[in-house]
Amino acid sequence: MNFKKHNKISLAIFGIFLMIGLIGCSSEDVSKKDNTANEQSPGESTKGGTLHIAYASEPDTIDWMYTSATPTRDIGWHIFESLFALDNDYKTRPMLADSYEISDDRTVYTINLREGVKFHDGSEMLSDDVLASIERWRKASSVGTIANRYIDSVTANDDYTVEIKLKEVYEALLSDMSAPKSALMIIPSEIAEDAGEQPLKPEQLIGTGPYKFEKWDRGKEINLTRFEEYSAREETDWGGLSGKKVAYLDEIKFQIVKDPQVMINGLKTGIYDYAQAIPPDLYDVIESTPNIDPITYINGYSTITPDKSKAPFDDLKARQALNHALDKEAIAEATYGNKEFYKLDGALFDPDQKELYSEDGLDQYLAYDKEEAKRLLSESDYDGKPIKIMYSNNNENYKKISQIAKQQLEEVGFAVELVSYEWATYLEKWNDPANWDLVVIGWSTRFSPSELGMLVQDTASSGWYNSERWGDLLDDWGIAETGEQKQEVLAEMNQTVNDELPFIKVANETSFDIKSDKIKDYDSWVGQRFWNTWMDE
Amino acid sequence: MLQYTIRRLLSLIPVMLIVSIIVFLIVHLTPGNPAYLILGEDSSQESIEQLEVQLGLDKPMVVQFFSWIGNVLTGDLGQSVYSSEPVTQIIIDHLGPTFSLMVISLVLTLLVAIPTAIFVVWKRNTALDPIFISISLLGVSIPEFWFAMLMVLCFGVAIPIFPVAGYIPVAEGAINWFYHLFLPAFVLAAVEIGLVARMLRDGMLESVNQDYTRTAKAKGVKESIVLMKHVFFNALIPTTTVIGTTIAGLLGGTVIIETMFTIPGIGQLLIDSIYRRDYPVIQGVILFIAAIYVLVNLLVDLLYAVLDPRIRYD
Repeated sequence: MNFKKHNKISLAIFGIFLMIGLIGCSSEDVSKKDNTANEQSPGESTKGGTLHIAYASEPDTIDWMYTSATPTRDIGWHIFESLFALDNDYKTRPMLADSYEISDDRTVYTINLREGVKFHDGSEMLSDDVLASIERWRKASSVGTIANRYIDSVTANDDYTVEIKLKEVYEALLSDMSAPKSALMIIPSEIAEDAGEQPLKPEQLIGTGPYKFEKWDRGKEINLTRFEEYSAREETDWGGLSGKKVAYLDEIKFQIVKDPQVMINGLKTGIYDYAQAIPPDLYDVIESTPNIDPITYINGYSTITPDKSKAPFDDLKARQALNHALDKEAIAEATYGNKEFYKLDGALFDPDQKELYSEDGLDQYLAYDKEEAKRLLSESDYDGKPIKIMYSNNNENYKKISQIAKQQLEEVGFAVELVSYEWATYLEKWNDPANWDLVVIGWSTRFSPSELGMLVQDTASSGWYNSERWGDLLDDWGIAETGEQKQEVLAEMNQTVNDELPFIKVANETSFDIKSDKIKDYDSWVGQRFWNTWMDE
Repeated sequence: MLQYTIRRLLSLIPVMLIVSIIVFLIVHLTPGNPAYLILGEDSSQESIEQLEVQLGLDKPMVVQFFSWIGNVLTGDLGQSVYSSEPVTQIIIDHLGPTFSLMVISLVLTLLVAIPTAIFVVWKRNTALDPIFISISLLGVSIPEFWFAMLMVLCFGVAIPIFPVAGYIPVAEGAINWFYHLFLPAFVLAAVEIGLVARMLRDGMLESVNQDYTRTAKAKGVKESIVLMKHVFFNALIPTTTVIGTTIAGLLGGTVIIETMFTIPGIGQLLIDSIYRRDYPVIQGVILFIAAIYVLVNLLVDLLYAVLDPRIRYD
C-alpha cells in the first residue's frame, strides 16, 4: 500500500513540475475560448462566442432529408429550413413560405415563398429550388414517400409561387411538409438534382438556415458558423423550428465525445459549454454542481412489441395477458428512477405535442392485474414454451425493462428467456421472427401518425402488425380537416392500440442534457436549438 | 543484410494475405448490416435492399472478397460505407493523433525508464532495488483506465492544469499540441516505463556478473564507464524488443485512452467502424495495424545487428 502512495506522490510532484513549466510558456495558448468583446451590459443578448458542444453520437450524414436519425436532425436544422415548420406546441407554421392557400376542393395548395431568402452560397431561393427539393423529398425521404402517394404534380407559377396538386384530399400534407425528420429542407436546385436519392456530400450542405456548415473532421467535430446574410422572419420566435431566428454565436462546434464523465469534467473545466445525452442517474450530481444547469426535454417512449406473426402472440388473448401481467409503474420506477425522467401516459403522442395528443382511449394502459393475466393466459393458445425477449445492450434502460418484465411475466406463468445483442446485430436479428417473441425498444418523438414505426403494417419494426382498422384510421387522418376531427381520429387511434395491443407502451422518456450557465435564453424543444441563444463570456 | 531484408519483406506477402482473409471472414461473418444501421429502425425492406445493392453487399461473399483483395493489391483499400471517403485517407487522418500520442509517450518512457534502470543497477546492493521492483510492478499492473481517470480528476478537475479531453494537431501550435497530449501520454507511459525499466535492469544485472565486466573492472576502468559501455549496451537487445512491440502497440491504437481523452486516433476509428459495420474501414485499419506490427518487428531485428556486431544475417 505504501508503494502506491509513493507512486502517487512522486507522480503528483512530477506533474506539478511539468505544469509549472508549461504554464510559464503557454499562458496565451491555453485560453479555452475565443474571447469576444462584450460591449453591452450583462443581461442583454450579445453576438459572439464559440459554443463547444460535447455531442455523444456522430451522425452518418447531415442530410436532414435523407435519414430520420436524431443526430442528423438536431445538427441539420441549424443549417436547413423547410417551407413549413413546427412551433413550440408542434403546430405547423409557415417558415420559408410566406403564405398559402388551399382550393375549395382541398386538392390544390398554392404556396407563396418569402422573397429575398438567401442560400449559404449567396444565391436567392426561388421556386425552382423548391420544386427540385420537393422532387427529391418525394423519393429520398421516408415522410416524402408517403406524401408522394397523394401528390399529382408540383409546378411553379412564377419565381415565388409554387402549386401542389393532389390526386385526392390529403389534409396531412402540411404537417408532412413540416415534419422535422427526413425533412423537406429547401436546397439549391442544382444540388437537389445532383444528389438525387444519395445523401448530400459535405460540400453540398447548402441551406437557408441561421448557421452554415463550415467543416467536418470525421470522428472529431462538426463546425457551423453564423450565416451573416440570413433572412429571418419578422415575427417573434414561435418556438420549435419556426418564427424569428437570430444567430448570436460566431461558431458552433459539435465535438464528438462518447464518455459522459468526460463531458461533465469538460463542462466543469470550461472545455465544453453544452453536453448531450447524460445518464439520468447523474441528475442529482448536476443539480448540486454550481454553474451547470440541467436541461430536460421529451424524447419519445419505451415499448414492448410482441411478434404478431406467430404463436403465442398472434393470439390477442396472449397479448392481453401480457398487458395485464406488466406492472408499468413498477417497471418505470425501477428503470428511470427519478420522476423527472419518465411519465406514465398511454397516448401515442406526448402531451407537449398539443396538436397530436389525445387523452382518450387509454383505459388499458395501466391494467396491471396478475389474476386477470393468469386467467387470460390459460384461455390463450400459449403452450408453455419459453418466449424470447430481445433487447439491445447499448442502452441500460431497455436492459432493465427487459429484466423486470421477465420477472413479472414469469409470475403469471410465462416461461421467459432474455437475449441481448449489440445494436448492429440487434437490428439484423429484428428482421427475422424466429429470433424473438418480444422486443424492448424506445422510439424517439414522432410528429405524425404515419411516422409511428411500431405501427407500420407488416414490418419487423411493428412486429408484423396487420390491421384494417389502423389502416382506415390513417386514411381518416389524411382527410381530417379541423382540429376536432383530428382529435376524434387520434382518440380512435389510441383506442385501437388499446384494443389490439400491437405494442405495449411502457412510459414516456425524457432526454437529459447539461449546459453551462454562460448560455443564456436557451430553449431546447425536442432537441438542441442554438439560435436565439447567446453566451455571456 | 540487404538480402535478408528483401527476404523478410517478401515474406510479408503471405502473412498479409492470411491476415486479410481472416479479417474479411471475421468482419463479414459477424451479424449486423450497415444498410440497417444507415437507414434506421423504421426503414422499409425495399430501401434496405436498394442500399445493399448500392453498397455491393448483395453479391456473394467470394465475389466481394476477390474484388476487395484485387483493389488492395493495387493500393486501393476501398471507400467508407458512410462518408464515401477513401479508407487510405481516413487512416492517414486518424494517424496524426495516434502517432503524436505514441511519440510523446515513448519519449516520456525512455526519458524516465533508462536513467532509472541505470541508477538502480548502479545502486544495486541497496534498498533501492526492491522498491524499484515494486513500483515498476505497480506501474505495469495498474489498469490504464483507472489511472487515466485518477489523473484526469487530479490534474484536470481538482487542480485544473491540463485539459481533460481534446486534441490539437501539431500544425496548430506545438505547445498546445503537447499540452493536450501530455496527460494521456503520461498514462500510457506509466505502464511502459515499468516494463522497459524492468527489462533494462534485468539485462544489465545479468551482464554485471559477466566475465568481460569483471575484466573491465580489474583493468581499473571507472564504474560509470563500465556501467555505460559494457553493461548498458549489452542489455539493450531485449529492451529493444520490448520498445519495438510498444511502438507497434501504440501505433495500432490505444482504444481506452483515446476514448477517455477523446483523441480521434486509430483506436477510436476502429471501434467506431466496428459499431457501424463499416466493413472497408475495419478491414483497412486491421491490415494497416498488421503491417505496422510486421514492419516494426523487422526493424527491431535489423537493429539487433547494429547494436550487437556479433549478429549477422547473411
